[in-house]
Amino acid sequence: MTTTIKLSRRTLLQGAGATGLALGAGPITGFPNVIAAEPVTLRYLGTAVNQSGDIARKVKEDLGITIEYIPVVTDEVTKRVVTQPNSFDLLDTEFFSLKKLIPSGNIQGMDARRIKQADNITPVFTKGEVAGKTIGDQGTAPKKVFYLEGQNSKAFAASATEWITLIPTTYNADTLGIRPDLIKRPITSWKELLNPEFKGKASILNIPSIGIMDAAMVIEATGDYTYPDKGNMTKAEIDRTIKLLIEAKRAGQFRAFWQDFNESVNLMASGETVIQSMWSPAVTKVRSQGVACTYQPLKEGYRAWATGFGLPKTLAGRKLDAAYDFINWFLSGWAGAYLNRQGYYSAVPETAKAHMEPYEWAYWMEGKAAEKDIKGPDGGVLEKAGAIRDGGSFEARMGGVACWNAVMDENTYMVRKWNEFIAA
Amino acid sequence: MTDTALSAMPAAANIPAAPASAASLTAKTRRRRALAYLQALPMALVFLVFFVVPLALTVIVSFWAYNEYEIIPAFTVRNYLDVFEGCLDTADVCTTVRTYLSTLKFCVLTWICTLLIGFTVAYFVAFHVRSRTVQMALFLLCTIPFWTSNVIRMISWIPLLGRNGLVNDTLMGMGIIRTPIEGLLYSDFSVVLAFVHLNTVFMIVPIFNSMARIDRSLIEAAHDCGATGWQTLWNVVVPLAKPGIAIGSIFVVTLVMGDFVTVGVMGGQQIASVGKVIQVQMSALQLPAAAANAVVLLGAVMLMIVAMTRLIDLRKEL
Amino acid sequence: MGDGPRSPAFYALAAFFALFVAFLYGPTLTILVLSFQGPQGGLTFPMNGVSTHWFGKLWAGLGIVDIWGALWRSLRLGLVVMLLTVGIAFFAGLAFRKRFRGEGALFTVAVASLIVPSIVVSLGIGLEFRLLDEAVNWAAARSGWGWLQEHGTLMGLYTSALGAHLTWTLPFGLLIMFAVFNRFDPAYEEAARDLGATGPQTLRHVVVPILGPSLVGVALFGFTLSFDELARTSQAIGGRNTLPLELQGLTTTVTTPEIYALGTLTTGLSLAVIGLALGTSLYLQRRRAKAGLRSG
Repeated sequence: MTTTIKLSRRTLLQGAGATGLALGAGPITGFPNVIAAEPVTLRYLGTAVNQSGDIARKVKEDLGITIEYIPVVTDEVTKRVVTQPNSFDLLDTEFFSLKKLIPSGNIQGMDARRIKQADNITPVFTKGEVAGKTIGDQGTAPKKVFYLEGQNSKAFAASATEWITLIPTTYNADTLGIRPDLIKRPITSWKELLNPEFKGKASILNIPSIGIMDAAMVIEATGDYTYPDKGNMTKAEIDRTIKLLIEAKRAGQFRAFWQDFNESVNLMASGETVIQSMWSPAVTKVRSQGVACTYQPLKEGYRAWATGFGLPKTLAGRKLDAAYDFINWFLSGWAGAYLNRQGYYSAVPETAKAHMEPYEWAYWMEGKAAEKDIKGPDGGVLEKAGAIRDGGSFEARMGGVACWNAVMDENTYMVRKWNEFIAA
Repeated sequence: MTDTALSAMPAAANIPAAPASAASLTAKTRRRRALAYLQALPMALVFLVFFVVPLALTVIVSFWAYNEYEIIPAFTVRNYLDVFEGCLDTADVCTTVRTYLSTLKFCVLTWICTLLIGFTVAYFVAFHVRSRTVQMALFLLCTIPFWTSNVIRMISWIPLLGRNGLVNDTLMGMGIIRTPIEGLLYSDFSVVLAFVHLNTVFMIVPIFNSMARIDRSLIEAAHDCGATGWQTLWNVVVPLAKPGIAIGSIFVVTLVMGDFVTVGVMGGQQIASVGKVIQVQMSALQLPAAAANAVVLLGAVMLMIVAMTRLIDLRKEL
Repeated sequence: MGDGPRSPAFYALAAFFALFVAFLYGPTLTILVLSFQGPQGGLTFPMNGVSTHWFGKLWAGLGIVDIWGALWRSLRLGLVVMLLTVGIAFFAGLAFRKRFRGEGALFTVAVASLIVPSIVVSLGIGLEFRLLDEAVNWAAARSGWGWLQEHGTLMGLYTSALGAHLTWTLPFGLLIMFAVFNRFDPAYEEAARDLGATGPQTLRHVVVPILGPSLVGVALFGFTLSFDELARTSQAIGGRNTLPLELQGLTTTVTTPEIYALGTLTTGLSLAVIGLALGTSLYLQRRRAKAGLRSG
């Protein structure tokens, strides 16, 4: 008996030790030789909104590149870029966070000459125009941060250079989403968000830098105050805005705050809220669940946002080439059409158009009534024939932009005040 | 770390077997001493690297400056001034105090609920269930959910409590209420409910442990002396279960004080908690500010714990 | 307390206990039921048919989220944490039986590690590794050594996250070892020593077999505490998330009953681990009893 115990104990301990060592040491040292022999994998850091299994599958098919998504929330993207610059190979982030990312020195400028469609990127980004008309540029408008002075420069260039910060992936104009079946009257202004009529049924975005812009839209709509730049408030303006939010919160205006795209979908679809700031595809998603939901154009205009691909400074060699290949593929049309069908806009409209049916293009981009049933990327029917897209055509929507998501100079102060609002 | 732990084994092999002479006794003690150090070393190292140093760094960094993307090692007390900004103003309670009050409120409510429920459940299992096997089975029944994912257990309340959730639908179907009860979800109620749901087990286990060690003859003696059930409970069981109650309370209090997930999910992101403030600052990359808040939180929790640990010697009670 | 008839208090308490169990398991059961929601069903009641549709979808992958990768990472990390916790706590327990200078301090630190709010520990570890990273980057910039230039972060599953988990599991392990050794009769060891066994022999053939079931208990604690750990990991994880972090992300990113299917699955997995541990523990006890009988 003694011997059996002895043997079994020893083997067990040795086995355990060996397993522990193998498990513990293996992943740290890694197996570079094995990886080198395999096709390229790109670690794609971004928010869940922009990441889709379909795109990953398609690019694997077309280019043989494996996309490994790292889905995190907007703030976390910024944090990872600043604190763990080598933990990803491709970055998909909002233009406004560039104000934090570029000074950190962890992003390299993208060589415009290697981007085949660089000249065809919509002037929304390059010049701040839609169909030749200048659009609102309060906040961190992409045109302000689109170019760098040099590849490793920490300063944004005022005019076009060959170094691009981010290649746009998706962008859109946000407004209020409403449940017309539960509100039963027309909504035309941002001020309705804080209308006591919707007490306990409203929601805003709990990303400080975006939420405060929504609040600013409300304040301007009530006529209380007009900001010189909603996207760059002074301390006094932040105080005023937060004060209004706190009053509304204490009066029980808000049901919950949302932080992520799908959270807003859940709130709206389950009837927890009837009016909230919302993203266009979120509205589409609520509707696809059979719940009436309108993406309501408002007279004060939209708050726009844009995301884009960036490259970490240390990316080089095969991975860098693969990243450029992937971006070029992304701009070549299939992905653009895929995004357009979800209600986003793509960076190079022409290439996307080539991958869409004319009736789809007419519905999504030209604001015309749908000739046939409109289907989503998964083949499910989103809209019946005859429907018209909320907010109309691309030009009407993007032309109606009032401001852009932003990082303010007083950001630190603003975050502190926002915490105060959450605590109130 | 595994090999460090295992290396204690061959080290132990060097000890000579049972030396008989009295002269070698001191040598033996010394070796035993050395062995003890060796055996305690891995644990000491882990705590040094992953607990003591991080806490020390937190304190240091809380006095550093920062900007949007980096922390700057320059001494400043601004972070603390920011934490307590407006707290001298008597007209309105400042954010920090307000947040602590809110967190404290959850703490007290959760503590009361978990204590009452935990004590009752432990008391039932320890004193009213006669078969030892059934006792163990019931005890396990209470602790099993503790081993499953907290996040899943939390979100499982949402389909029940929502405006159109199961509870509201049932109540409305039965004609008890006309309009849905709003306060079921995203409210103080749902937060406390989730806390109680998640943390009662931390009360049950130590209280049960204390009760299991109460000499049954004491109860019978009290009974024989004519004490009523309540008197026995209050004068015999409760005092003897005190260590368990204290340990359970420490757990519940610290878990609630430092929480940021439960309050976020169940409070619809709009109820403040100290942990949440720290997390928001972390995600906004304001590490020194978060560190200052963490230090203040640490102080607050320690104050609460000291009061409780004064009552018991934890090591003796296990 | 004798064998007399049940008092009314018993029935009241039994009813309370039943209510408590219902409260404890109710929501989990809701999830279990909802995970079999029909393909057209949503996140809430009513049930829209019954199907295993969402399990199928889960199996096919949650679109973007690498849930199986996260599960695998959590399992591996849990195993490593488990082994380390058993090993380190066992030897620390042995050390505490002898006296050594600094034992008071070590014990205080262990208890403190348990009760310092997790977010603070997490922040501290995150901070520590951030500063380490900056030091390495600085060294890389100064030295220009090629092998340093590729440096990303020292943070990772088996560095910062492992450490964060150990600060949570080791105090539990140590406390259990105290409880165990307090009840352990040193006479067994003395007997072994009298029979001429060396220290390690005594440990291997007497102490470990007797404590076997308790060590399995420590292992169970180590694994499940690590497998479900969220707060301490949150700021101390590197590029890849563990399952609880991924789940937390999913609560806000999934709009279909897939999340419930996942909940059912992880709960099942946790239960399987408990069952396995209990089984092992019982087996060890029985074997010990049998061995005792045979040698006696």
